[in-house]
Amino acid sequence: MTDEHNPHPDLRSRFDAELDGIRRGAVALGSLVLENAERLIEALLESRLDLAQQAIDADDVVDRAYIDVERRVFRIIALQQPVASDLRLLISIIRIAHEIERSGDLVVNCAKGILRQQGFTLSHPLQGLIARLCRATVDLFGRSIECLAEMDHEGAGRLDEEDDEVDDLVGEFYALLATEAQKMHVDTAIELSRVGRYMERIADHAVNVGEHITFVVTGIFPRHAEIDED
Amino acid sequence: MGEDQLTDSTTAAGPTIATGEARPAGRGVSVGSALRGTGRPAEPAQNTIFDVRGLRVFYGSFQAVADATMAIREHEITALIGPSGCGKTTVLRCFNRMNDLIDTARVEGTILYHGTDIYGEKVDPVEVRRRIGMVFQKPNPFPKSIYDNIAFGPRIAGYKGNMDDLVEESLTRAALWDEVSDKLKESAYALSGGQQQRLCIARAIATSPDVLLMDEPCSSLDPIATLRIEELMIELKRDYSIIIVTHNMQQAARVSDRTAFFTVDVKQTGMRTGRLVEFDATDAIFTNPREKQTEDYITGRFG
Repeated sequence: MTDEHNPHPDLRSRFDAELDGIRRGAVALGSLVLENAERLIEALLESRLDLAQQAIDADDVVDRAYIDVERRVFRIIALQQPVASDLRLLISIIRIAHEIERSGDLVVNCAKGILRQQGFTLSHPLQGLIARLCRATVDLFGRSIECLAEMDHEGAGRLDEEDDEVDDLVGEFYALLATEAQKMHVDTAIELSRVGRYMERIADHAVNVGEHITFVVTGIFPRHAEIDED
Repeated sequence: MGEDQLTDSTTAAGPTIATGEARPAGRGVSVGSALRGTGRPAEPAQNTIFDVRGLRVFYGSFQAVADATMAIREHEITALIGPSGCGKTTVLRCFNRMNDLIDTARVEGTILYHGTDIYGEKVDPVEVRRRIGMVFQKPNPFPKSIYDNIAFGPRIAGYKGNMDDLVEESLTRAALWDEVSDKLKESAYALSGGQQQRLCIARAIATSPDVLLMDEPCSSLDPIATLRIEELMIELKRDYSIIIVTHNMQQAARVSDRTAFFTVDVKQTGMRTGRLVEFDATDAIFTNPREKQTEDYITGRFG
């Protein structure tokens, strides 16, 4: 088709710019949560209560960024009636933003636990394991945001496998915690088990982000395809 | 401009009972009983009503449509979309041989209607147009009363049943009866644009067609009248098969079951030929089209 069909090319390029802006808004949201998650790891491993508090305070910024993405999506759907890949992108961005925002809340939950405990004093093995678990989780989360930035659906498809590693570490962590729990205050044991649970959930959200990216690029939602096959 | 003239002349010939002296078959059929949809139970929308194979249309040496193949199903609404010049209206006109009315037009390939080639030698184009009615872009009622607009076609076709009943039933089916039942003798021109368009649909229905072709039936109507026509189309597809040409992609998305996307190829010689790019379930076209050209068009990326 030729240009003559479109008397207002500017309108469409503005639409494209807004679509891209919304996607970058979701990436920025992810970066904020990622930054906060890094802060959390340091707070957890080094009992830095100031960083835990910062992580909690930063959640307002995350929430505002989330609302901003959501508003922009609503607006562009109402005004531009997107279809096909544009619609897939926007619907997915809404869901991705939600996954990210939930991850942010879990980071905050962890940080609150650190404050409640005034930091954790952990045995060497437990300290090592929780460090590996948090590192693996936050790396996985970070990769999901990278995939979003690049719209890399192949990378997004691999997140599921990487999640298995996190799940294994969570299992290992619970087992070790069970053996060491007698040596610690019950509140501390409960708080630590929550950390394990939160990390597992954050990793799951990262996998979900990957599935949404796959849907945007291919039009196939992996989980729907599985259900359809059943 | 030529287009308008075409519309006018074909209207007069129109769903064409009007000039149907040579009509061999159908003179004795009870339009009324066919109208009530007997013999056409609401079956699952599976059967192919038009099997289009290798359709090519030429106007003189100019090729308007290149090699379209598609199977149009019964009791569905099929939308033809695409930019101006993509051949969608030309294709629509092939379904009831309206292109015959243009001297230079030549149709190649086959269109099987219930298995019969409508361009076959023994086929009477007037009978084709009785079974396959057309509703045009601009409402074009006859300069007659509302009643006579409906009664005109059946009367010429030798309809022997109760004309009052037929008029009422046609207007009811076209969702117009309640608005006009007390002024049937008034001029059709006194109706609003949306009412006139429903009158034209009622007129097309009155001769008990099997298929309704609609060439941008809502483009001159406001959104409320448009919605009424769209609701009517969904109502009508239980008894008829509908093919609609529309520039309004949201309309295609809202009402149609299947969508055919045509584009226009411009050759080096400047020759512009329409081509069928993709034909699929409407939800597939609008959520995940297979062809990039379809995607670009429906998302408004024409450049």
